Amino acid sequence: MNFISLENVVFSYTDDENVKSEKNAVDGVSLNIKKGEFVALLGHNGCGKSTIAKHLNAMLLPDSGRVLIDGDDTSDEDKTYDIRKKVGLVLQNPDNQLVASIVEEDVAFGPENLGIPPQEIRERVDYALKAVGMYDYREHAPYKLSGGQKQRVAIAGILAMLPECIVLDEPTAMLDPNGRDEVLSTLLKLNKEKNITVVLITHYMDEAVLADRVVVMDSGKILTQGTPDQVFSQVELLKKHRLDVPQSTELANKLCGCGVKIDKMPLDTEACVKMLEEVLK
Amino acid sequence: MVRDVAFGQYFPGKSLIHKLDPRAKILLLIGFLVIIFCTFNYFSLLLVTLFTALMILSSGVPAKFYFKSLKVIIFILVITSVLNLFYGTGTPIWQWGIIKLTVNGINRAVFVTIRIICLILASSCLTFTTSPTELTDAIERLMKPLNKIHFPVHEIAMMMSLALRFVPTLLEETDKIMSAQKARGADMESGNIIKRVKALMPVLIPLFVSAFRRAYEIATAMECRCYRGGSGRTKMKSIHMSKRDAFSFIALAAIICGVILCNIFIPAVI
Ligand SMILES: Nc1ncnc2c1ncn2[C@@H]1O[C@H](COP(=O)(O)OP(=O)(O)OP(=O)(O)O)[C@@H](O)[C@H]1O
Ligand SMILES: [Mg+2]
Repeated sequence: MNFISLENVVFSYTDDENVKSEKNAVDGVSLNIKKGEFVALLGHNGCGKSTIAKHLNAMLLPDSGRVLIDGDDTSDEDKTYDIRKKVGLVLQNPDNQLVASIVEEDVAFGPENLGIPPQEIRERVDYALKAVGMYDYREHAPYKLSGGQKQRVAIAGILAMLPECIVLDEPTAMLDPNGRDEVLSTLLKLNKEKNITVVLITHYMDEAVLADRVVVMDSGKILTQGTPDQVFSQVELLKKHRLDVPQSTELANKLCGCGVKIDKMPLDTEACVKMLEEVLK
Repeated sequence: MVRDVAFGQYFPGKSLIHKLDPRAKILLLIGFLVIIFCTFNYFSLLLVTLFTALMILSSGVPAKFYFKSLKVIIFILVITSVLNLFYGTGTPIWQWGIIKLTVNGINRAVFVTIRIICLILASSCLTFTTSPTELTDAIERLMKPLNKIHFPVHEIAMMMSLALRFVPTLLEETDKIMSAQKARGADMESGNIIKRVKALMPVLIPLFVSAFRRAYEIATAMECRCYRGGSGRTKMKSIHMSKRDAFSFIALAAIICGVILCNIFIPAVI
């Protein structure tokens, strides 16, 4: 059964005078995500990725169509709390997500809202902070952290709630390569070991390659989706919509253009090296 | 610049004062502040001063932060003591026109200065050793009885803790906006007072706009994390009174008795 299911979702923002904007931010998206799946959501600025993310935990409700989370309709107000318990959303701007004056107290905020006993909250907070590598900073004040550190604490805040699904809106945008690797490997570990569903919104193709499935959006619609292999082999389509492909794929594509025959598009450096060895033989 | 304000900062630590129940700390502080203003002779003043010093020493927070918090009020301190100096009653020991200096005036100035210093130091001791969350938590618990008359205790406490959390962020933002406006040629440091207030407008307006947008985003983030108000919430750091708190109350009681005894047996000087 699908854990997340979007059925023909249409949404447009209302402006200050309560008038619906003419352009739909999300324009008829249907998407099914299974339990335990790792999905990467791609698309250029303003194509509606964040808007989709906010639909997944009932922060926004579709104008038409519906969103089902584990069988519950997000428009059912009685279910909102249960849905938010199951789907944790890490927002794009970490600055305004940290609500307490001490890092560990901020991570505890979610579990406190869920009414978890104090002893267990303590364990969860320690676990979550260690998972994102911020345990040593547990007594710091959030405003004294760097952007990337804040981002990690924000992720820990959601991890501590032990959701069944984590939706992350560009969690690695502010991180250095090291931090990005750490966060990603944490997500992959959670996904593989705890069977937590992960929806990762990102601009980095190298991250998207790690997902089970890649969904590419363009102006509120789904442009294409499939395994990383399938999606990134459509280099021309992606280029046309101003999207990048992983560097290795780009290189292979250029070689193809020069008449070199390549059977399988490489997605990461390792595969690229292998491909080049084959070609040069 | 704006971020130099030490007041309201928290320094994590493991001192005796850190370990006290925040509720006890608040009650102790209130009791102590009252007793500070019940000192009428130098013995009781000395007693109160010594107690303040003891508090500061046992808090384990470097003394320089206490000086910083005094620096903020130095202006008020000077004005009040000078005013008191010349408003004493009794026979003048020195006179120049309408300005006269009396023994009573000097005493008053000394008392006011030391009382205010003790007040600020004692309050700083509370905020330095208590995390904002603990503080608001304690206030929430202390005000709990008001729930019966439908006073929104939890909401007020949450508002306070959010305010405390975002004070540094907003200060930082003010700094940023000021630099940005200066970079565009705004002049904020010269001219008369009206000119300067006018020059502040281009800082205040963006600050307010961004504060409202921020508030909206914070509310969203809180909702994302299942916040639904105070009912059904638990706390990671549950606070409870212990023997330590009982001892601290006994210490306060001793000070109160000391001050009262001094007041009874030693004549007042102001
Ligand atoms: N609060 C809002 N009010 C009105 N319009 C909005 C609001 N938020 C987003 N939009 C509009 O909706 C569209 C989709 O925005 P969204 O934030 O979902 O994009 P995104 O894919 O997340 O972009 P980015 O990569 O920059 O984060 C954009 O055209 C944007 O202008
Ligand atoms: Mg976005």
